[in-house]
Amino acid sequence: MTALTPPAAGPAHLTRWLIRLHRPALLLWTAVVVAVSGVLLWLRGPLADASAAAWKAYDACRTATCGYDQAAIIHYKDVYAYTTYAVLAAPFLVAAWAGAALTGREMETGTARLAWTQSTSPLRWFASRLALPAAVVTAGTGLLVLLHHLAWSAGKGRIGTLKSWYDLPTFYANGPVVVALALAGLVGGALAGLLRRGSLPALVAGLGFTGLLWYAVQLVMPHLWTTSTSVVALKRFAPTGGGLGVDEGIVTATGAHVSNLTCGNSENDECLAFYDRFDAVGWYRDYHPASHYWPLQLIATGLVLALTALLTLLAFRLLHRETGARRRSS
Amino acid sequence: MTDTALEAAALGKRFGRLRRSAGWALRDCSFTLPAGRVCAVVGPNGAGKSTLLALAAGLMAPTEGVLAVLGGPAGEARARVGFVAQDKPLYPQLTVAETLRMGGDLNPGRWDARAAEAIVAGGDLDPKARIRSLSGGQRTRVALALALGKRPELLLLDEPMADLDPLARHELMGVLMSQAAQHGTTIVMSSHVVAELEDSCDHLLLIGGGRVRLAGEIDELLETHTRVSTTADTDLTPHTVVESRTTGRQLTALIRPAAPLPADWRTGTPTLEELVLSYLRNPGATTPATAVKSRQESVA
Amino acid sequence: MLEYRIDRHSGVATYVQIVQQTKQALRLGLLEPGDKLPTAREVVEATAINPNTVLKAYRELEREGLVEARRGLGTFVRRGLGAAPADSPLHTELEDWTAKALESGLDRDDVAALFTAVLDKHFSARQPTEQRPSEQPAPTKHSQGEPS
Repeated sequence: MTALTPPAAGPAHLTRWLIRLHRPALLLWTAVVVAVSGVLLWLRGPLADASAAAWKAYDACRTATCGYDQAAIIHYKDVYAYTTYAVLAAPFLVAAWAGAALTGREMETGTARLAWTQSTSPLRWFASRLALPAAVVTAGTGLLVLLHHLAWSAGKGRIGTLKSWYDLPTFYANGPVVVALALAGLVGGALAGLLRRGSLPALVAGLGFTGLLWYAVQLVMPHLWTTSTSVVALKRFAPTGGGLGVDEGIVTATGAHVSNLTCGNSENDECLAFYDRFDAVGWYRDYHPASHYWPLQLIATGLVLALTALLTLLAFRLLHRETGARRRSS
Repeated sequence: MTDTALEAAALGKRFGRLRRSAGWALRDCSFTLPAGRVCAVVGPNGAGKSTLLALAAGLMAPTEGVLAVLGGPAGEARARVGFVAQDKPLYPQLTVAETLRMGGDLNPGRWDARAAEAIVAGGDLDPKARIRSLSGGQRTRVALALALGKRPELLLLDEPMADLDPLARHELMGVLMSQAAQHGTTIVMSSHVVAELEDSCDHLLLIGGGRVRLAGEIDELLETHTRVSTTADTDLTPHTVVESRTTGRQLTALIRPAAPLPADWRTGTPTLEELVLSYLRNPGATTPATAVKSRQESVA
Repeated sequence: MLEYRIDRHSGVATYVQIVQQTKQALRLGLLEPGDKLPTAREVVEATAINPNTVLKAYRELEREGLVEARRGLGTFVRRGLGAAPADSPLHTELEDWTAKALESGLDRDDVAALFTAVLDKHFSARQPTEQRPSEQPAPTKHSQGEPS
């Protein structure tokens, strides 16, 4: 027996056993990622081509009666919707698994304690629980987001009913925010498992947390970058301006912007009276043009990642306080 | 190896501060356990035995007080301490062989594969059987193999013999004693049945209501306590009375004699079980822990 | 191989039982000088008692000069006790006497009481007289199995 304290289990060993223990989940995740990736490639290639051809026929058909492949158009639309929701569902899946299987079940059955008494300090145990899954989740979700973006871009200009960049599901599925959300779900689920100590409660808590986070992100995102404003005179139909709308309303004679006051068509007498009452001289609209896409995405991603880091720190502190463990000593 | 396996000073543990029904699982516990002993932790259910073992294993932090394990805080001794929880947690999806291999991987440089496999082989376990298909006794065997395989200096066992049939109990107790004989491992076993620990343990820690009621070497405890039987109304004054009972004209008591006893008293050595029960029934009895400890110190 | 049998309900301390059983083995010639006693580990593995108990018993035997501990090698028998190995004339005579007592109608308790009375008369107050000098073990080999 050695007299000196021997080295603790290396990270390679811990990771190897993590894989062995969660092999089914890893295989399932890989299968899902591969499957959705496959569908996205199919969407980008043959489906987009078929739909584009049908649209071309449809456009050329405006003046005369002729046929076009409506089924192809609908097919593209449906598959696009399914894959978009599949990508957006990733954070929920990850959070549910992290809560239920990664930490919740281990705390519930006491196997976490088994690891802790087999010479792995609780902090190192938790770190190993996060490290590989974080890498796998990032890689998988990142791949899906990339392929989704490519698939969407392939339809630009060719497919009439392609969702615009600022259509919310498309906006999120095309960018890195959802990857950050998946990571946040991983940590949130794992933390829920530590707190609730049971697989089912942790699963519910993980899902709830992810849902709340999604909601918060959607609320906050439009305000993360200064908007552009367009002002038009009262003569036009309604406030115009493409892009992600943030706020709109009337402009009074004093130049003040009053939001959410529109009546509609200014040709209408009732509306004219309405506008006179408020002394309106025009409409304004605050929005984000396409050039704001990346700033919005990156700032939102940064915020979510910061939250994730904070949660990770919180989880470590919680474990430290509960068990009195320290990082390096054991 | 350090001289003291466990040393507690005013140790306390409280659960669930947010819940209103939170209480102290352990309060103001102080004791010393020298190394190389086989210690029985005895007490009724809910007394705090499991909490004490979990604290010593580094699974929780104390709320107050200090617990030194092998000379330092519990977290630092993790590699040298083996622990088997009451429910013997194991990963159900692994096979027996994989579980042992995991033990080897998680305890590099310290794993005794032969010893672990010998314990598993003693129960005729199929190495390829999944843990979820094993019976309670077989799981205990695997859990013990994991704990002993890391060649601990201190072994903490929470009701280890609960699931075992008498044959397995005898055999595994023999394995544990052999471990103590060969390596000088300090073994701490909890149980709420005193009789089964009497032969193998030489140290006692009695816990009741979250407090240490009695602590010390069993031989010394039995020597310093006497069961007496005399007529009722006898004054027991100079001696410390742990428990006394009067039935009819007879007074029976368990005392710690402070002076030679009168010749007309019937005396006898109490059994360990009688000692334990008397202390449990009388929480007010002052524990002789410090007296025993100081005697140890003067002898050592 | 010498095996100890511990009777937990006999009221006799465990280590005393080991001492007594070792002495019994010495008397019966199951152990001879130079034989190695089972290690503490072997004893506790079979009996599940505390190793310190075995060590205490062995120390007591060493104190009485019957065994000696050799560091790193084990505990060895130093001198024998057997004044009456199993097939000695004394043993045979005792067998005959007991058979006669049985025939004349004495039961076990009577025989024990008679024998104890005689013992008490000859051996005052439990004085162990095992330290007889120049005691040689009986030259005859016995068939009681190889002591190991």
